[in-house]
Amino acid sequence: MEDYFSYTAKLFNPDEAGQKPEALKGIRVLDFSHVIFGPIAARLLADYGAEVIKLELPYYGDLWRPATYWGKYWKHSNPIWHNITKNKYFISVNLALKESKELIYKMAETADVVIENFAPGTADAWSIGYEKISKINPKIIFLSCSTYGQFGPMRYFPGWDLLAQAASGVLTLNGYPETDIYYKLPDYVGDFFPGNVGAMSVLMALYHRKKTGRGQYIDMAQTEGLMRMLFHYTYYSVTKQTIGRTGNTDPSMMPASIFKTADDKFLALACATAGQFKNFVEAIGRPELISDPRFADTLERLKPENANALTAIAVDWVRSKSCEEIVSLADEQGFPAAEVADDYRIANDEWRRNRGSVVLFKDDVYGNLVIAGPSAQLSGTPSRTRWLARPLGYHNRIVLKKFLGLSEDEILALEKKKVIGTFDDRPGLKPPVYYNLSEDPIYNYGKEVK
Amino acid sequence: MSAREEVYTRHGGKGGDRGKRLAEMMKVEGKPEALDDILVLDVSSANFGGIVAASFFAEFGAEVVKIEPPDGDPARQITPFGVTVQGVGIPFMFEGRNKRYITLDVRNNEEDRVTFSRLAQKAAVVIESFAPGEMDGWGIGYRQLCLQNPGLIYIALSPYGQYTEKAKKSAKMPDTDITSQTGSGLPAQMGAPPNEPEPLNWPLRGGMWVGWYISGLSAALGGMVALLHRQNTGQGQMVDVAGMDAYSSMVGMPATIGFTWEKSRPRIGVLDFILYPYGHWKCKDGFVAIAAPRDHDFRALLKILGLWEQEDDWRYSSDRIPDILEQAIHLHRIIEEKTILFTGDELVKMALNYSKKSARSKWRGGGVPIIMKLMTPEAAMENRQWQIRNAFQEVEDEKLGKYTISANFVKMSESPPRVKWVSSEIGKDNEYIRKKYLNV
Repeated sequence: MEDYFSYTAKLFNPDEAGQKPEALKGIRVLDFSHVIFGPIAARLLADYGAEVIKLELPYYGDLWRPATYWGKYWKHSNPIWHNITKNKYFISVNLALKESKELIYKMAETADVVIENFAPGTADAWSIGYEKISKINPKIIFLSCSTYGQFGPMRYFPGWDLLAQAASGVLTLNGYPETDIYYKLPDYVGDFFPGNVGAMSVLMALYHRKKTGRGQYIDMAQTEGLMRMLFHYTYYSVTKQTIGRTGNTDPSMMPASIFKTADDKFLALACATAGQFKNFVEAIGRPELISDPRFADTLERLKPENANALTAIAVDWVRSKSCEEIVSLADEQGFPAAEVADDYRIANDEWRRNRGSVVLFKDDVYGNLVIAGPSAQLSGTPSRTRWLARPLGYHNRIVLKKFLGLSEDEILALEKKKVIGTFDDRPGLKPPVYYNLSEDPIYNYGKEVK
Repeated sequence: MSAREEVYTRHGGKGGDRGKRLAEMMKVEGKPEALDDILVLDVSSANFGGIVAASFFAEFGAEVVKIEPPDGDPARQITPFGVTVQGVGIPFMFEGRNKRYITLDVRNNEEDRVTFSRLAQKAAVVIESFAPGEMDGWGIGYRQLCLQNPGLIYIALSPYGQYTEKAKKSAKMPDTDITSQTGSGLPAQMGAPPNEPEPLNWPLRGGMWVGWYISGLSAALGGMVALLHRQNTGQGQMVDVAGMDAYSSMVGMPATIGFTWEKSRPRIGVLDFILYPYGHWKCKDGFVAIAAPRDHDFRALLKILGLWEQEDDWRYSSDRIPDILEQAIHLHRIIEEKTILFTGDELVKMALNYSKKSARSKWRGGGVPIIMKLMTPEAAMENRQWQIRNAFQEVEDEKLGKYTISANFVKMSESPPRVKWVSSEIGKDNEYIRKKYLNV
């Protein structure tokens, strides 16, 4: 029989991923959302082949376009924005005008999904909510994203990822006990995690619609999304005790902590099962620990006094070995260990590039950029990157001509009335300074270009 | 007034049916389930990524069968401080949603493997977390199962995935939450700045299972994409989830910043790289989270805290990004000197009152400073908002008694997820499943 890894290497071959079918081909998504929570849900659908049309206000655009880490831009764009909105069509319409709404209603006729994350009630107040859109297209799947949900006494409270972390209890679980510092989960996980849940719900609704022909309305509250990952509520209801903050130690397996190695690197090491613990004590040359009454039984080992004793043993051992030694011992013996990976390492790890979870993408407008691929690789209909983010209003023409059948004259008239528009001269909104838009065949779709 | 009536009357609006629709959404019983036509086999071992993915399918209506050896999945003993109810750990109880439990020892028992592959012929989804290649070696991997069942979706979870040289080299390494966190870059961004004392300035783990839950969610999301493709074409496929990618793949920042900056970000403690103020502050009776990052939000915050004299300080009016840490920390202290004078409730009220007026006034520039009391998970359970939204559900297990879980994590008008029952008993449904799927 062929070696397993040579079989899987062919099955998942990243070089062939671009030619494989797309699972969501033919699904059209109108993306009214902004910042991260809504846009990431829409992007996930785009990654699998859906046609996502992102609507923004002319000259102003999405609030998050200029919001970049430490104010550092890359080719006049926000580098992390590429990850949040790649693969989308960017059109820019002025919602305040009647003509703009008519454009939206026309697009809604053929759309399958709408995603928005305005304050609850706003989309309906502006006549682009579920009430209006579902009358135009009863089979629509409409995802409303918000921090606290569409109903309930806190519905109008404004929110960000931080507030969802604060309201769900997530924020109070990070840090060291008996200090007065809590750390929020970094990089807006409070947007990304619920955004992924939102995308999954849309997929469920699409699956349901195929069977029944019925669309539906989805109310995704990011706080509730975060709550789904806390078993702390159950712990409290059973024991009337709290787990609280436990610093770098995971109290549910032992040992399980972040340690410092002999060469001053940081790594996590853990033993979730009796088998892994056996492999670990053999690797550290302390096989007698397996019959130590404090550690022999898995649940016994987790009791705080025994856990502390075992953690102390692990601390000493890790401090006596280099990070590389420990990780290769873990590979050989079969216990979990991993160095703390930082940005540079993640961007450059060879195995991630080979796997396709980190991709060097060559873009027509921006050139080479390293972006993240998915952690879940699909052998049949893989996620892929087709293009990066685009300047504001970049796809106005292609969307209006190709999808709505407007003529160049009609588009010129819309431009004159300021129904549609493009970018202001600001980083995050405009194209890179070296790029000549007047020669771009997509920006000028249907017009003669040199 | 019942919660449902309250939602109906308060959200009614003028003439529209929004209130009615929202009240209707709270109802779950009697509505159809999206995945009521599929069978899912979860044969994962000591891996909550797999268990969580199986729960998602079960909550949306799939028949999910948890398959474990006669002494149970070791995941049953992965529990904080060793706390169990009759030997079942808290996380396993929490995830015991709408599942069937049967015993098959696929690792050691040849006959059980045959039973497993007979079940897999009827299944839409298989979830496993053995070492890459192990199931294949036992003759029940994707390569073998897809011959009999070409529509099968086979989800495998592991630290480094099922292909590449690295995956082969590290195939023996098991997957856990904390190693998934460190390997995929979360702790590198959490913790105090380098000049603080050890171990505060070390990389810090997220205090919940972020790694495992992201893996589980990614597996379910990838599985759903595959199920849609199967619905259209009848074709199945393999879904390969790598724990060492979980965090970095979900948020995307580490890869792109590592490339564009050609170095890693430092840890900046409680500050944020993009937004300020965006964090938590001490108040008279605890802590509040404050988010007022846009210029008009920030100005509004200065007003309500009585700090307006700071407004024309260029360091804060137009350059609040904490790339100069001392400057940001200085502003942090200025704000704290004020927040400490008020209770959490007072601060929340001050911000809300300002925002309400601001929304109606063109002179206030629309500033919306947000202040919110920092809630522990236990405090969140008492909150009226989540009670009305049924975010928590009291469930009862025949053997383990009553307990509370967070459920109904998304509201859907037609096919919402739901928890119909919880159970955790090993081999409870042996007979039921054999009868239903194997005609035994």
